[in-house]
Amino acid sequence: MKENPLTPLPPSRGGNGVPATDSATGRREAALVPASGTPFPRREGGRGVRGPWNDNLTGWLFALPHLILFTVFLLVPVVYGFYISLHRWHILTKIQPFVGFANYQAALADDIFWLALRNTLYFVVLVVPLGNLVSLLLALGLANVKRFSTIYKVSYYLPVVISIAVVAVLWRWLYNTQVGLLNLYLKAAVDGLRGLGLPLAGFEPIPWLANPSWVMPSIALMSIWWGAGGNMVLYLAGLGAIPDDYYEAARIDGANGWQQFRAITWPLLRPTVLFCLVISVLGSFQIFGQSYVLFAPGSGPARSGLTLALYMYLQGFNQYEIGYGAAIAYLLFAIVLVLTAVQFRLFSKREDYTPR
Amino acid sequence: MIRRLLRNGQPWLHVPLAVAAFLFLAPLLWMLVTAFKSPEDIIEGLGALQWLPRPVTTENFTGVLGKVEEFPVWRWTGNSVFISLAVTALVLTVDTLAAFAYARLRWSGRDRVFGVLLATMLVPGQVLLIPSYLLVRGLGWFDTYAALIVPAGAATFGVFLLRQFFVGIPYELEEAARIDGCGPLGILRHVVLPLSKPALAALGIFTFMGSWNAFEGPLIFTDSLLMRTLPIGITIFQGRYNIQYGPMMAAATLAAIPVTIAFLLFQRHIIKGISLTGLAGR
Repeated sequence: MKENPLTPLPPSRGGNGVPATDSATGRREAALVPASGTPFPRREGGRGVRGPWNDNLTGWLFALPHLILFTVFLLVPVVYGFYISLHRWHILTKIQPFVGFANYQAALADDIFWLALRNTLYFVVLVVPLGNLVSLLLALGLANVKRFSTIYKVSYYLPVVISIAVVAVLWRWLYNTQVGLLNLYLKAAVDGLRGLGLPLAGFEPIPWLANPSWVMPSIALMSIWWGAGGNMVLYLAGLGAIPDDYYEAARIDGANGWQQFRAITWPLLRPTVLFCLVISVLGSFQIFGQSYVLFAPGSGPARSGLTLALYMYLQGFNQYEIGYGAAIAYLLFAIVLVLTAVQFRLFSKREDYTPR
Repeated sequence: MIRRLLRNGQPWLHVPLAVAAFLFLAPLLWMLVTAFKSPEDIIEGLGALQWLPRPVTTENFTGVLGKVEEFPVWRWTGNSVFISLAVTALVLTVDTLAAFAYARLRWSGRDRVFGVLLATMLVPGQVLLIPSYLLVRGLGWFDTYAALIVPAGAATFGVFLLRQFFVGIPYELEEAARIDGCGPLGILRHVVLPLSKPALAALGIFTFMGSWNAFEGPLIFTDSLLMRTLPIGITIFQGRYNIQYGPMMAAATLAAIPVTIAFLLFQRHIIKGISLTGLAGR
């Protein structure tokens, strides 16, 4: 997502081993191809096989297996889904009359749709900044230790590889108001502090999954635990790409840790931050499994766990109103697109420290 | 001290890092120890926050695995293994061929087709669920393995990843192979693939884990008990064992173990693969 992969490589380069950066674009992709001092002058067109075989046919043949699957199971469904959303479409009925944007209008007039949207937004607002903060802090910590770093990395990443079904089943127990581990430990901690003479009120068990206003924060906490390791590794890679020289120079100039972070780490990490934020928003907007496993049909107390994706599923596969469900899916798609565009606006200011 | 915050080797950082490691591991440990506890032990152990099972019992596991009629756990495991392997093989095959075409072959329409692939990158999976469901029904694939395997080949991520990798392979190697009489398949086999092992490994592992943990597809494309996969099996289990935590945690442990072992074995590749690919593994 860094450079436009469509940009072809610069057509010709000098044979002296110095990658001649295309001055018009300054693309760094040129550096991906090491310039070995080849005695053969590069052909017109640069990369690409030009053999005795028919290139057009060969290219299509190689691309075809994936292209067929892509067309049938991605491209067609995207278009077909929109078509479905324009019809009153019940799985069991034979006739599906065209209704234009009536499903969309119905969604926008549907209180439960708005509730699901609010819940989803609340989840995104909780999970994206907090989750990324956790990931970034873990990565910053890891970047500055040598010993045990593999053990730490594996510990933080392990939850990522576990199915959401397992995660939710496990956390449903941890969150149990009476016998959940979280409340038991919190109670022990509060009791311990009271024992030390601190004027604390007695511990009231937190209704993690029982009280509507706790539901989304609880799901968010669980999701951060589940996913923080993924972005952490991305941040770690981003940190690793910053040359040590910059810190060296900053230290010589007397910059302290915070100043180094402000002046070097943060600006150079910006593309990574943008990337992580974009994929976090994309991912968290589609939250489904958490609510499905924790609450399912009703979706929690006062529907506080109902998310857009889950509402789409319930409309489509419990009520069989797939026209309506498809419309919800497309509204979700539209929101995700807008949010992604906004993030690119906000974050795409580039800092280029690359020496020229 | 703070002056050297970004220097290598800060001993005090081990304190927060170790605490964090414990917090990330604790829930999984709790799941594991609970799976080995008897019902009485679970209840009595709670007040004292006692972690270790005493005595250690495997009755939860035998109970879970014993009810074959109701919870065909072995079958679910077999389904998960088979589907994940098949998806991985499919994705590696078609994505390698396609990435080779986009990276190293010149053909008319290539860039335009690739642009279409790129344009679908932001499409949320949920947009596809309803139309794919109708499609799968129309093909007569509902409640079959095909429904859980073939559509996974449509993903574009692997094509982007491998293409990016293939593009970086020096042209001279290809030229040499061509002079030796290699066709495009030969170049792919003898030049490109041997040099792309890290990318192929990363894509393979991610695809496997993603398929193993897939939730919405198996939920929607299957409905018979025998066609379910482990993650869906867990939710079926939950519906029945609701608050019997011993068997619940035993089932969750069973579902988590294979993928955990795979992760521990390949963690080096996985973590390198994420940095390589910019994919968080899900």
